[in-house]
Amino acid sequence: DSQKIDREGKIPDDILEKLKSLGLFGMQVPEEYGIILVGTEEQKAKYLPRLASGEHMAAFCLTEPASGSDAASIQTRATLSEDKKHYILNGSKVWITNGGLANIFTVFAKTEVVDSDGSVKDKMTAFIVERDFGGVTNGKPEDKLGIRGSNTCEVHFENTKVPVENVLGEVGGGFKVAMNILNSGRFSMGSAVAGMLKKLIELTADYACTRKQFNKRLSEFGLIQEKFALMAQKAYVMESMAYLTAGMLDQPELPDCSVEAAMVKVFSSESAWQCVSEALQILGGSGYMKDYPYERMLRDARILLIFEGTNEILRMFIALTGLQHAGRILTERIHELKRGNVTTIMETVGRRIRDSLGRTVDLGLTGNLGVVHPSLGESANKLEENVYYFGRTVENLLLRFGKTIVEEQLVLKRVANVLINLYGMVAVLSRASRSIRIGLRNHDHEILLANMFCTEAYVQNLFSLSQLDKDAPENLDEQIKKVSREILEQRTYICAHPLERTS
Amino acid sequence: MSWVQAILLARGLSRGWGGICGAALTGAPFSQVLPQALRGLHCSTATHNSEMSLVPHPPEPPKKPIKAPAPHEELFRQEPGGERDKASFVRAVQNFGQYNVRKRGHVDFIYLALRKMREYGVERDLTVYNLLLDIFPKEVFRPRSVIQRIFLHYPRQQECGIAVLEQMENHGVMPNKETEFLLIQIFGRKSYPMLKYLRMRLWLTRFKNINPFPVPRDLPQDPVDLAKLGLRHIEPDLSARITVYQMPLSDDLTGTEDPIQPHIVGIQSPDQQAALAHHNPARPVFVEGPFSLWLRSKCVYYHILRADLLPPEERKVEKIPEEWNLYYPMQLDLDYGRSGWDDYEFDIDEVEEGPIFAMCMAGAHDQATLAKWIQGLQETNPALAQIPVIFRLAGSTGELLTSSGLEEPPRPLCEVQEEDDDHRKQQQQGRS
Repeated sequence: DSQKIDREGKIPDDILEKLKSLGLFGMQVPEEYGIILVGTEEQKAKYLPRLASGEHMAAFCLTEPASGSDAASIQTRATLSEDKKHYILNGSKVWITNGGLANIFTVFAKTEVVDSDGSVKDKMTAFIVERDFGGVTNGKPEDKLGIRGSNTCEVHFENTKVPVENVLGEVGGGFKVAMNILNSGRFSMGSAVAGMLKKLIELTADYACTRKQFNKRLSEFGLIQEKFALMAQKAYVMESMAYLTAGMLDQPELPDCSVEAAMVKVFSSESAWQCVSEALQILGGSGYMKDYPYERMLRDARILLIFEGTNEILRMFIALTGLQHAGRILTERIHELKRGNVTTIMETVGRRIRDSLGRTVDLGLTGNLGVVHPSLGESANKLEENVYYFGRTVENLLLRFGKTIVEEQLVLKRVANVLINLYGMVAVLSRASRSIRIGLRNHDHEILLANMFCTEAYVQNLFSLSQLDKDAPENLDEQIKKVSREILEQRTYICAHPLERTS
Repeated sequence: MSWVQAILLARGLSRGWGGICGAALTGAPFSQVLPQALRGLHCSTATHNSEMSLVPHPPEPPKKPIKAPAPHEELFRQEPGGERDKASFVRAVQNFGQYNVRKRGHVDFIYLALRKMREYGVERDLTVYNLLLDIFPKEVFRPRSVIQRIFLHYPRQQECGIAVLEQMENHGVMPNKETEFLLIQIFGRKSYPMLKYLRMRLWLTRFKNINPFPVPRDLPQDPVDLAKLGLRHIEPDLSARITVYQMPLSDDLTGTEDPIQPHIVGIQSPDQQAALAHHNPARPVFVEGPFSLWLRSKCVYYHILRADLLPPEERKVEKIPEEWNLYYPMQLDLDYGRSGWDDYEFDIDEVEEGPIFAMCMAGAHDQATLAKWIQGLQETNPALAQIPVIFRLAGSTGELLTSSGLEEPPRPLCEVQEEDDDHRKQQQQGRS
């Protein structure tokens, strides 16, 4: 009964018990709390069975009042006791999911570490803390906008004694542990949101096919039909992205898919918000009422854009990780260009001229030996073209900004947007091609969705890429910066009221 | 009769030119010379005694001891117990209209009324100005022929109309549609008052908002409020907090002349607080002042707490911590920077100055008062207790800059330096 959970802000105990007996707690728990990633064999043996069976719940304690994504400002501190067998943990953590229910906490705290050169430094270390260690208290559950069933509260540690063997990973290696955990937790959002969207489509379709206005069903109005197409397309794309990423993660030797996971997270959270909002629109006034589940879904969907790294921060991550990779490959070329190597310059200029005269990009996705089905050929060509020109643009950007591109957040945002679109195109093309070849039901519907998405993404990408050109008229960054600077100087909206002078 | 008219017209023209030039050019750089010369040449018995402005200032009594009362003065004569406010002013104007159906001497009356406006506190009231313009007879002064239009038609009246607008301009009163309507009715569309009106409409709004740091028209009378206003005015950081360290107390209730306890109001932003906390205690900080700040016609003085710029070898380079951002790399591992092609920064030589940690305005500028301010600051800035404070105050305070207000502040006449130990003792006392 989701409505009741939302109202009371608590999941009833009997439901939790049932979930435990179904073994659902074992689904993702260990990874989320880092034990499986970096834990020692003893730690795994001690905690994993308990966590997976649901006997114990865990909580991930990283955020502090002064520290969101800034690890340097973490205040919680762990000091080694005199007998060197314990760490004494002191500090407060906020917004801890399951903070009131958990028995096991993954806590990040500053410890003093002697560096290789002998100097003492503060470094972050991760600990596994049991509630039974003592000194662990938590505040009352926070009253939230959405996901009210989850228990979120402050957790305080006061002189909590943590045995040395409960250090997770290395002493002073907490930063990497935290990054790994954060990166690995994201890809699951795509499939979860897609599931939610499927349910939403069912509910709203039901309504649209029964409600009549002007002797017509809502489903006959174009503006309503459009919304269903949107929801289906978004669900399809995010599902494809999530499963492509999951498939890559299942490859041997544990590939690093953190960028892909971040792209899935950004795309699915934003689509979820957009789709739920459109669904509410289909419902009209009823969507706004508490009697229906839609407003709750809207509230719940809002958190997706914020937690596990806000989408803004993840865009920076996506763009910068990609650019770092590109930078390593392109360094040699760019050095030659900067030195004024005539051959390289001539080559680059020649290529630019060829590009501007219009060229067809063929990276081999289509054709006789291509991996993409011919019915998606056009979309594949669009993807190829986008990829090619994106490569040119990235080279250009690196040449222009070098390492100072870190400061150009508006540029990075566009790079990230293009990347997310490209990944989405790859995902839908491969999924739709596969569906055709193995003859899944309704695969022609999939082709429609895939082609639709690819065309939209292609146009968006072209626009973003043209904005990334130097001195592009589409690029309003300078104006945007100026407007915001003027507002932030005064900390208010500064335009005069239109009726201030009437004569 | 025609020759009489001709003579009158000629006289009026010549006088009018002087007036018009004066009116149109007031404010331009050369206007201060030109109108006088013109008047000297052309003007007959002057209608008013002001050279700079068309609006005659109230005559100074000592200069002209024997002066006949201006005509219509009796209209503004104070009734016993009557108050000088808008209502009585309007009544006087209306009385003029009633007693004087033919509006004889209305130009003199308008000049008189303009002079009286400040006394009645209506000098910023647009309706009153419109009322004054309404005194002019309508349609009479409108030029009817081409010749009249070419030459100045009814110059004395036009001059008077300009004088009304001029006074509006001086007080920043924006004319409205009603003013326009009246002026068209009185002088016609192609008249000088109308030209003045159009120029005012164009420029007044632009000049009105030209100051990015506007000062309220009516300044607070209370010195503490005035100090708060002044400090907010010079502090760019909106997060800065104002603290009143000491409220003024005086012997008698009336005088702020010789308060036994002057007010001390200070301002400090969080950034300044942080900078002071990180200040190296081996380097002294200075209390300097008083510096002047003009708020409209008032001059207030402030003091600053500042330090010298660190020599380059002592400056710490801000280092990016390795493990800082949990989510994305804060720097890229590339060995080339921005190309000159994308570097829009101008090559500017910026003069670096030492940090300013706090500012204050106090009722007295002596060291004892400012020491109290430093003591007050120590409560929110514990680090300040460890830092030696040196007072560098300009010798004379009080009417320091009022006579030579536009010159740069004089260099400190005497440097009051204290031994650090001495000062520490004093601070200890202050805290205990």
